[in-house]
Amino acid sequence: MQGVLAAFRELDAAVHAVEELKQKRVGDVTVYTPTPRHEFEDALGSPSSAVRRFTLVGGLLGVTFGYWIAIWTSEYWPLVVGGKAIASWIPYTIIGFEVMVLVGALSTVFGMFYLARVPRLTMTVGYDPRFSHGDYGVFVATTPDKFQAAEELLRRHGAAEVRGER
Amino acid sequence: MATLARPVGGAGDPHRRPNIASADVQLPAVRDYEQVDNEIVATMRPTGGWFAGLGLAVVCMLIGASAWVYQIYWGLGQAGYEPPLMWGVYIITFVFWVGIGHAGTLISAILYLFRAGFRTTIYRVSEAMTVFAVMTAGLFPIIHIGRPWKFFWLIPYPNWRLIWPNFKSPLVWDVFAISTYLTISTTFLYIGLIPDIAVLRDRETNPVRKRIFSILSLGWRNSDREWRHFARAYLFLAAFSTPLVLSVHSVVSFDFAMGLTPGWHASIFPPYFVAGAIFSGFAMVWTISIPMRRWFGLKHYITLNHLDATAKVVLFTSLVVGSAYLIEFFIAWYSGVPAEIEYFYNRVFGQWWWSAWILLICNMVFPLSLFSQQLRRNTTWLFILSIIINIGMWYERFVIVVPSLTHEFEPWQWGGYLPSWVDMCFLVGSFGWFFMWFLLFTKQLPVFALAEIKEIIPPKLKGTHKHDDHIDVTGKHQAFEPDTPGEFA
Repeated sequence: MQGVLAAFRELDAAVHAVEELKQKRVGDVTVYTPTPRHEFEDALGSPSSAVRRFTLVGGLLGVTFGYWIAIWTSEYWPLVVGGKAIASWIPYTIIGFEVMVLVGALSTVFGMFYLARVPRLTMTVGYDPRFSHGDYGVFVATTPDKFQAAEELLRRHGAAEVRGER
Repeated sequence: MATLARPVGGAGDPHRRPNIASADVQLPAVRDYEQVDNEIVATMRPTGGWFAGLGLAVVCMLIGASAWVYQIYWGLGQAGYEPPLMWGVYIITFVFWVGIGHAGTLISAILYLFRAGFRTTIYRVSEAMTVFAVMTAGLFPIIHIGRPWKFFWLIPYPNWRLIWPNFKSPLVWDVFAISTYLTISTTFLYIGLIPDIAVLRDRETNPVRKRIFSILSLGWRNSDREWRHFARAYLFLAAFSTPLVLSVHSVVSFDFAMGLTPGWHASIFPPYFVAGAIFSGFAMVWTISIPMRRWFGLKHYITLNHLDATAKVVLFTSLVVGSAYLIEFFIAWYSGVPAEIEYFYNRVFGQWWWSAWILLICNMVFPLSLFSQQLRRNTTWLFILSIIINIGMWYERFVIVVPSLTHEFEPWQWGGYLPSWVDMCFLVGSFGWFFMWFLLFTKQLPVFALAEIKEIIPPKLKGTHKHDDHIDVTGKHQAFEPDTPGEFA
């Protein structure tokens, strides 16, 4: 992937740069920010995360398994006490609930990793260590013929440093 | 120490301190992201005091470990049990540590959902405390079963004996609740740590440590894509953790409430246990964070406003558990069951009267001091109170376990209990185990959430704000209170 990377000291400058990059359709924009900011979400217009689907599926699988394991094992080896029900849903709700939380939460984490493409083995192009520290990074993926226009745009908005990445 | 009766003056009173709503608690003395990284990462350098503390914790842990070896060799009889009392310090301490863990999840998950501003700086400490407290608690049922190498029999797995655990047993519920709680708390802690480990990775110059941080941070780059999914996943983890934390101590309370033993068989137990757990957990947060803010020089991160807000939670939960204690007496009287009435009379005036009065005074009377704003902002008093509450809460579990089991239905079942030296070694060892992990954590990973603290710091803007005039992100002016009388010393 090739493009132009800019480091901004100020939030509003980075947001305005992203807005103009999106408006002029220079290329795919990636923003690096030390902490999540709604301003970037609004400027990028990203769709909402699909993590919730993993959560729902994991939770449903978990609760089903929790009830099933308790009911099946009770029927498999019945402990008949005073003619009471062999499989009793009230205590098994505890098992169902706990397994729902366990599988639902772990599948949420799996979903986050999958969608965010984590773990990542290399930093690839377009990252600078200062983006975890205090600066905001804007990387626009574009072809070399548009590098100059992109660099000018980013500098105009107050980028502290701009460089081409290949 | 300030007097209880000292009133807070009117609006014009120079001594009056603002009663800041917990959602508005900000960090006026923290100017920018660089300051956050520099100051918090600086706390990770080991000091002489830290080595001394770690050494003490390891010695205490080894005392407990030695007692365990001794008990395995000589048998569970060394634990001071004799009929009718077959539960003692192990179960008391198990419930105590599970309870300690609860405040961590309350702060990190429930207060996150409620958008309570005061959680931000203390949540990492609390979440780590939860993980280590549950790790400590989990040891005790294993110790208590006598043959710890067979604990896996409680886990449902296909085996050649074709035997499955009885899912109607509270012991099996405990296994599911505690193991789920430990797994989810650890996951929640680690997920929150990933962006902060990325900060450490990017700052680190030592190649070995840099490599370790690179692996632990999973290649985190702080991109908008990562943050978008991270924020949503974090929200769902908080949403799962919230009912989980309530369920775990409810399940622990079922260990008692499912029995017909006098004093145990009450439907009030789940809410009463949950409130008590939050109460004791917040006290432990004070025990840890008040010295830490002084030793690390981070009073401008855990400010008096933060402590004031936590003190209100402690006061509220104290009133809840206090009401529960009193309602228990009412229920016993109203039930008309002679064994219940006899038991509750015996609780305060009988064989174990002293333990019940320690509990009532520590948990109901001393916390009332928090109605005073001066005392809520007096860190010395909060630290002392945290110790008092922790003693009181350990005795709460003592009062639940010991007097009930030594005073059941028939007089021939009545007996006594004296914890053995093995019991006491396990108690000391549990504190050593807990603090050993916690102290190791403080020097390997940041105990303050870097990325979340940055969220509440005003971002640098182009020319409009200087942000050195204590304007917070909401545009309000907040005076920083750097030092006050009664500071922890």
